Amino acid sequence: MQTKRTIAILGASGNMGSAIAKALAKGNDRLLLISKEEEKLEALKTVITNEYPLADIEGMTCAMHGSWEADIIILATPYEAQTDVAEKIREVASQKIVISIANPLNATYDALVTNPETSAAEELQALLPHSKVVKAFNTTYAANFAQTVIDGKQADAFIAGNNESALETTAELVKTTGFNPIIAGKLSVSRTLEAMQLLLIQLTMKYKYNWLAGWKILHQ
Amino acid sequence: MFELLIKSIQDKVPSTEEELHLCKTHFTPKRLRRKQFLLQEGDVCNRMAFIEKGALYSYTTDAKGGQRVMQFAFEGFWISDLYSFFTREESKLNIEALEDCELLLLDHEQHDYLLKNVRQYETYIRILYQNAYVALQQRIEGTLGLTAEEKYSHLVEQYATIVNRVPQHLIASYLGITPETLSRIRKQMASR
Ligand SMILES: NC(=O)c1ccc[n+]([C@@H]2O[C@H](COP(=O)([O-])OP(=O)(O)OC[C@H]3O[C@@H](n4cnc5c(N)ncnc54)[C@H](OP(=O)(O)O)[C@@H]3O)[C@@H](O)[C@H]2O)c1
Repeated sequence: MQTKRTIAILGASGNMGSAIAKALAKGNDRLLLISKEEEKLEALKTVITNEYPLADIEGMTCAMHGSWEADIIILATPYEAQTDVAEKIREVASQKIVISIANPLNATYDALVTNPETSAAEELQALLPHSKVVKAFNTTYAANFAQTVIDGKQADAFIAGNNESALETTAELVKTTGFNPIIAGKLSVSRTLEAMQLLLIQLTMKYKYNWLAGWKILHQ
Repeated sequence: MFELLIKSIQDKVPSTEEELHLCKTHFTPKRLRRKQFLLQEGDVCNRMAFIEKGALYSYTTDAKGGQRVMQFAFEGFWISDLYSFFTREESKLNIEALEDCELLLLDHEQHDYLLKNVRQYETYIRILYQNAYVALQQRIEGTLGLTAEEKYSHLVEQYATIVNRVPQHLIASYLGITPETLSRIRKQMASR
């Protein structure tokens, strides 16, 4: 692909948003970092440009304008903000890939707040009926982006969605960030993926993995 | 965001609110800044762009990196590489924004969907293709037969604002003449 794409990262000042931005700066896409925290954005831009002087990045404060310019939108915002954010970008996100990374955890990290018959990603799809919602990056901790190989193995990153070409594009992005992409299935598989991260968080706390842990499918 | 597109459809094929809504939901609203690309040569052109605001142009490049302008497009018009869009072959064209643009993109998949499901869209697209064919033939005839002066007056007749919005060297390239010849023609025309 020669034609440069634009990827908007909403919530770029956060743990995941900044980790994804740094990781995607290795690729050839133009990145629009979106956050209300202008100072944090400036600092993030400096960090990225120092490491990747050719990276094409820009900070923006308006989610709607950033998403309008984007070809792909990543929601690195909390599950609680999902309805709000979707409302802001609905019109301009039509037919675009919108990546849901959210894990709808409760405050004590011991349950999901979503109904078992659905998932954060499926709820987002209902809020953005004309967008191509894809679940990705929800089973990887923010710290993993700086170290995608753990204990000698490259961590897997699972992807779910209903649109074939959107899944392929997202798999490429996941690869750029350094994880091993695995297309898991339809968007409804997000229920399992979101529950997997709940389990990983519980195990991380119980066995003190120090937030550097991930999933790896062992196979022949 | 969809004003000119709706007008363009309504002008050619009167449609109901419902049909227009169905069309609208299949487009991708996209902003492009000046000098950004909608398409770069070597990619398969997977989308057509309707221009709500701004201007773009398409061109090929020669071995020395020089531009050969194929087409200009302004508000209310479409631009794409239909050759690559239909054949799925890699494009030899670049499509670049001359100004900051607000576009409505339609990709191959959505285009096919609308053709199959919205009769008005099929009629609309047929009229667009007809117009594109006529424009292409005019362009070929112009290249083969007309003098540089005739070509320039046709262009200005078609798009009155082109002189203010497009750099002279691009207009010259579109006409297949040097910028010096263009400037001479413009002086001659102004003194008449
Ligand atoms: N942390 C992890 O390891 C991890 C792993 C997998 C998935 N996730 C998921 O990733 C998402 C982000 O997590 P995080 O740890 O990066 O959180 P975080 O550090 O708190 O960052 C979230 C960002 O979202 C923005 N935000 C907060 N409330 C908002 C609102 N109401 N509307 C719009 N934007 C709002 C904030 O940016 P501005 O206010 O500056 O715009 C903030 O920087 C969550 O959904 C989480 O479940 C996290």
